[in-house]
Amino acid sequence: MSLPVSQMWAVASYVVRQKLAGRKRYPLVLMLEPLFRCNLACAGCGKIQYPAQILRKHLTVEQCLAAVEECGAPVVSIPGGEPLMYPDIGSLVKELIARRKYVYLCTNAILLKEKLAAGLFTPSKYFSFSVHLDGLREEHDEAVCRDGVYDQAVEGIKEALRRGFRVTTNSTLFDGASPLRVREFFDEMMDLGVEGMMISPGYSYSKAPDQEHFLRTQRAHDLFSQILSNPKRRWRFNQSPLFLQFLMGKQEFECTPWGNPTYNVFGWQRPCYLLQEGYAATFKDLLETTRWENYGRRSGNAKCRDCMVHCGYEPTAVNHTFGSWRGFRDTVAATVTGRF
Amino acid sequence: MTDGATLEGWVPEIGPGLSLADVVDKAFDYRGNVTVVLTDGSEIEGYLFNRDADAPVPFVRVFDLSGGGPHTLSYREIRTIRFTGRDTAAGNSYAAWLRAKEAAKVADRAEKGSGSAPPRGA
Repeated sequence: MSLPVSQMWAVASYVVRQKLAGRKRYPLVLMLEPLFRCNLACAGCGKIQYPAQILRKHLTVEQCLAAVEECGAPVVSIPGGEPLMYPDIGSLVKELIARRKYVYLCTNAILLKEKLAAGLFTPSKYFSFSVHLDGLREEHDEAVCRDGVYDQAVEGIKEALRRGFRVTTNSTLFDGASPLRVREFFDEMMDLGVEGMMISPGYSYSKAPDQEHFLRTQRAHDLFSQILSNPKRRWRFNQSPLFLQFLMGKQEFECTPWGNPTYNVFGWQRPCYLLQEGYAATFKDLLETTRWENYGRRSGNAKCRDCMVHCGYEPTAVNHTFGSWRGFRDTVAATVTGRF
Repeated sequence: MTDGATLEGWVPEIGPGLSLADVVDKAFDYRGNVTVVLTDGSEIEGYLFNRDADAPVPFVRVFDLSGGGPHTLSYREIRTIRFTGRDTAAGNSYAAWLRAKEAAKVADRAEKGSGSAPPRGA
């Protein structure tokens, strides 16, 4: 793992506090979507298909901060939409850092150089750009349905690193991905100097245009095993090694849908970041009135059957690390040896 | 989402074979504006983003065309819902992009193969 020690400590102590308090359900990462508007229309994305008046809407900074306070998670991820199109993104990040939240700004990086030049952000241990890259140039440009985006993202990454920012990448892998090309991509990212990488299989959004290339469970295990079974020492991942083992089929986890709750212009999304089955007015209401037993693999819900996405299973992996000696041992072993 | 799977333009008739709750669920899942027709004859056009059929008073919530709201309407106030706005999730942009990409490759190959294009600076 490539997380800074202070961040690991903040998350670990938070989880231990929740366990000591006897809380059965607690959030780990708030997925804060201040807007749905985006400057791309990726084939695998089901987040941005809305009428114009909804795409024009965005949360105020005050609404965002109220959600952050209400939720209490130590980490705030800002996806969207494209968060660099959010007019108050600079002040939102500044306020979150002041509250000592670890912030991941998930961006396609098309606007990154421009926003950096405008001085919107200041480097901080609490703040990281998480740049969306679904592979090398050919694969990424195909995934985002526009040529040239990979090069723009790489330019943005270089500039952010040059200015002293933390930079990570997040990659969604679909059926047909080449393990060799993905491994080359990892090498390329390490050469660029990013702090760490996050990977996940895609989710079959019912509203996404491309329904044919989402990974089913066994194929996902096969793909991630081929990619990760002989990892290079230089590869650094910004996520739990147990989650990577889960992707390889070496851990049997159940989803933790409340682990990464989502807040956006509609409210608190039920039940998770991926499914939209309604909205709660408050986080408390979300936790207490969502029928959690209807979600996850064991529920038999067809929408959850093949899902292995990190927003549901990374919290399970973290909980497993701090919930059992075996989980703790496996995490330490993977971290020390660099093997999954 | 493929072409042809959309409810765009649907004007449901609430009756024995189709309940209001079913129509509300379909409207909630629809990624376009709808027109909510109320029992008093008035209408609200907008995006229906939430519904709760299990609430003590079942309701829907709508952002209107100007983005105003949300307007909360109880099921009892609703006569029907028409699917009047464009379905933004319909279509097949990925296939369209692949077709365009393939066409560009074919054109590129044809250009290189013909040898008709003069070299730069010539």
